[in-house]
Amino acid sequence: MSAFRHYFLLFVGAFIVQNIVFIRFIGLCPFFGVSTQVETSIGMSLAVTFVMTLASAASWIVWNYALVPLGVGEFLYIPVFILVIASLVQFVEMFIRKVSPPLYKAMGIYLPLITTNCAVLATATEVSKPGFLKLNMPYGYSFIEGVVYSVSVAMGFGLAIVIMAAIRDRMKVSPVPEWLKGYPIVFIVAALASLAFMGFAGLFGM
Amino acid sequence: MDYLVVFKAAGLVGGLSFLMGSILALASIKLKIEVNPLVEKVLSVLPGSNCGACGKPGCEGAAEAIVAGEASYDACRAGGPEVAEAVARVLGIEAKVEENRVAPVLHCGLNRKEVAKKGFYNGVYDCLIAEQQTKGDLLCLYGCLGYGSCQKACPFNAITMDENNLPVFDLKKCTRCGVCVSTCPRGLIRFVPENARLVIKCSSKDRGKEVLSVCKKGCIACGICVKACSDGLSLVENIVVIDYEKNPDCPRGVEKCPTKCLLPYKA
Repeated sequence: MSAFRHYFLLFVGAFIVQNIVFIRFIGLCPFFGVSTQVETSIGMSLAVTFVMTLASAASWIVWNYALVPLGVGEFLYIPVFILVIASLVQFVEMFIRKVSPPLYKAMGIYLPLITTNCAVLATATEVSKPGFLKLNMPYGYSFIEGVVYSVSVAMGFGLAIVIMAAIRDRMKVSPVPEWLKGYPIVFIVAALASLAFMGFAGLFGM
Repeated sequence: MDYLVVFKAAGLVGGLSFLMGSILALASIKLKIEVNPLVEKVLSVLPGSNCGACGKPGCEGAAEAIVAGEASYDACRAGGPEVAEAVARVLGIEAKVEENRVAPVLHCGLNRKEVAKKGFYNGVYDCLIAEQQTKGDLLCLYGCLGYGSCQKACPFNAITMDENNLPVFDLKKCTRCGVCVSTCPRGLIRFVPENARLVIKCSSKDRGKEVLSVCKKGCIACGICVKACSDGLSLVENIVVIDYEKNPDCPRGVEKCPTKCLLPYKA
């Protein structure tokens, strides 16, 4: 398998076939909470991409160079990853605020929201800890693979949340029955979108 | 049991926490940002509904502009004189109180049961979209579409739709922010002075015969009211225009108006 094909399959698998929101049902709280407007959802997905990539890289390093050599990874990985991710996000928030105020305005308000987001933690754990969730990489990821994989997962999250925001924008002017207004209709729409995404199963033999 | 693992775990978590904590502590000193405390003080007295009537991106943008001197202390239109006074107090300047209250009025008085329709509108329940797509279901091109875009747009819930699907303004909740004025695709909601004595409940610029063929409540530009009291009333483009500078009162014109579209007003 050529390197390009390998990384392409990794990308498509995380982006669409195993979409983190629609297929794996991880990260549902920001998915429902922030998908009210297309603009804010784009900002949110940018922030998630950023944090998820950094968090995965950081936890990969911590897993391979601290947890495994000490032999405490099996029971200590969740607290350590949360610690690493939370402080990393805090630091990045301060750094962006100082260095680039426009970027901070675009995604700064979402950064604290995703500090210990389940999607970020799940992806970081999956990338670092071999065999976690037992998906298509049971032997564990190399560092580059992990970064590519977490960018793809985050883009899949962005895809889901932007689709949802666009549908909800359109629904604002639709005659929704009174008893379905608000979250009930959003849940139904999300379920239908999830069913649609399940149609991708088996793409490229995955 | 291997007790060493306990120390390893404690050491790892403790060490990592200490490392991260020191980095964050260092960063909070090195990367400190001066936030103008005045902006936060101004923001705290603004209404905080982010209606955007001042033309700034939300109340935070307005607060920044006021402190930077790009906007006047009374930039908040929704807050009115009370908020302007509070902002002036925060900034330490003297507020000039201007009493020039206005009230929104729908310049249309159609009756949905009588008005002529061209068909049944089955599209999106929204005035802006109806106006773009089919111009609604009314034959009158100037009448209220009745799909309640102004009600949805109002940030203060001051608008309700009556049984005739016309907006009714709750002047106690209304802050005169003007969002409904700019929302109405037909420009039917306009401000009149609160002490106005007359309003014209029609906006049709069609000629009298055409108005009568589609709506029994429209202004047919007969000019009877203008003849009765010429001071302050005039006919422009087939509609009566009231000059609120002169603030006319015209009981005879109201009485004689054949379609009863010129009405006395009381805020």
